[in-house]
Amino acid sequence: MSTLDQLQEILHRDYGIARDALHPDAALETLGLDSLSVLELMFKIEDGFAVKITEDTPTDLVTVGDVVRYIDGLLTRTAAGSAHRPAGIAVSP
Amino acid sequence: MNPRRVAITGLGVVAPLGNSVGALMAALMAGQSGVRRLTTPRGDGLRSPIAAGVTFDGAGFFAAPRLRMLDRVSQFALFAAAAAVADARLDFAVEARHRCGVCVGTSIGGAETTEQGYHTLYAERSDRIQPYSVINAMNNAAASWIGLEYGLEGANLTYSTACSSSAVAIGEAARRIQSNDADMMIAGGAEAPLAAGVLRAWEAMRTLASEDPRDPSSSCRPFAKNRTGLVLGEGAAFVVLEEWDHARARDATIHAEFAGYGITSEVTHITRPSVDGQARAMAAALRSANLQPADIGYINAHGTATLQNDAVETAAIKAIFGAAAYSIPVSSTKSMHGHLLGAAGALEFVITVLALERGIVPPTMHLSVPDPECDLDYVSGGARSDVTLRAAMSNSFAFGGTNAVLIVRADSTMT
Repeated sequence: MSTLDQLQEILHRDYGIARDALHPDAALETLGLDSLSVLELMFKIEDGFAVKITEDTPTDLVTVGDVVRYIDGLLTRTAAGSAHRPAGIAVSP
Repeated sequence: MNPRRVAITGLGVVAPLGNSVGALMAALMAGQSGVRRLTTPRGDGLRSPIAAGVTFDGAGFFAAPRLRMLDRVSQFALFAAAAAVADARLDFAVEARHRCGVCVGTSIGGAETTEQGYHTLYAERSDRIQPYSVINAMNNAAASWIGLEYGLEGANLTYSTACSSSAVAIGEAARRIQSNDADMMIAGGAEAPLAAGVLRAWEAMRTLASEDPRDPSSSCRPFAKNRTGLVLGEGAAFVVLEEWDHARARDATIHAEFAGYGITSEVTHITRPSVDGQARAMAAALRSANLQPADIGYINAHGTATLQNDAVETAAIKAIFGAAAYSIPVSSTKSMHGHLLGAAGALEFVITVLALERGIVPPTMHLSVPDPECDLDYVSGGARSDVTLRAAMSNSFAFGGTNAVLIVRADSTMT
């Protein structure tokens, strides 16, 4: 399954967006995904692609294709062992 | 200049006994109770795991992308407001929407979102706080969503005065119409407090009713000698308030006339009610309605079933109505739908409007052991019908001390 296929699956399942609307050139905003949705999507990308996102979410994710390229970058870095960090944060009880 | 008259042209609810005004009133008139034993983990560890929940699944009404932005309290609000707008047969597309606004009362807003956030942070020890947390939890979310839904460009206000929040919201909304600041207002309240942390906080305050071991649904016993406290409920209730001539011009069905609103504040203690404070709120409402005590044919009491409130409210009613107090039916419908906190005033206002319109009086249930301090006609023997009511009063009193009283009047100019 390609990164695009997998992302389409997440966006269809969790955001109710029709699969055929999720082509690489589709703008996130017109799909009903505002900036907060994109932030939330990062959690789903972490789970769906088994990656850890340690940096701030980039602000230049405009289309579905942009997100695919962003995920591919994360996958490459994860494979190189540079994007990993321990799960959770330390919170005093 | 006389204030402009205000018509009530739409009613909508999502409530423990039904998600329509028809279902709600039928259940109330039959004396049914919406109080149940909590079956979810939320009730775990509670000494008295009972509440009046609502049967409602937001996924059936809101598409997934929108649902993630709506705390349960906003889902309730949008649903009940839509029912009120439909009931009023309003199409805001053809209305002057800059002359229309929203007033919502809620005590604790998006409590489930807040709780989920703390659960994520402290129980899961995760940093994955939902990006929508702030807009879901903020107290004015429900009002904002209603305004966005109908494109209402007038005032969009949220009142938070604990248990009188939505009575205040309705009263203040009516005043905006009376004073010519608006022509139509969607007004009401919403509350979704059945989160574990909220239930525990109320339990810690020692104000919740003990569960009746034989029949949990009869645990809330307003005005009874054996009353033990309130039962929390959830839901929303909304009305459409409309300038009188505007309503007549579009041939709207007028349920009743909004007649009066009185508000006073307690100044001796943050939670302790006073006879004077409550009585003055009733007097202020009568004055604002230009009505005499003898005009009031039914009082929907605040009647929380706490030891203190019910005795004080009874004394306050006597202080205003004198000997006539004994002949006015006074009921606490909280015995059936529980205490909806910030939504309580609006729900009970809707019930009061329907009682007036239909000539019926819902009962106070579970009152079989009289309290000498509570000696009015609480309609404990069951609902009454075929009653002629010219005007009716709805009382809402609150922790924090904001007493709000609303009065509705039958529309004598309609046949």
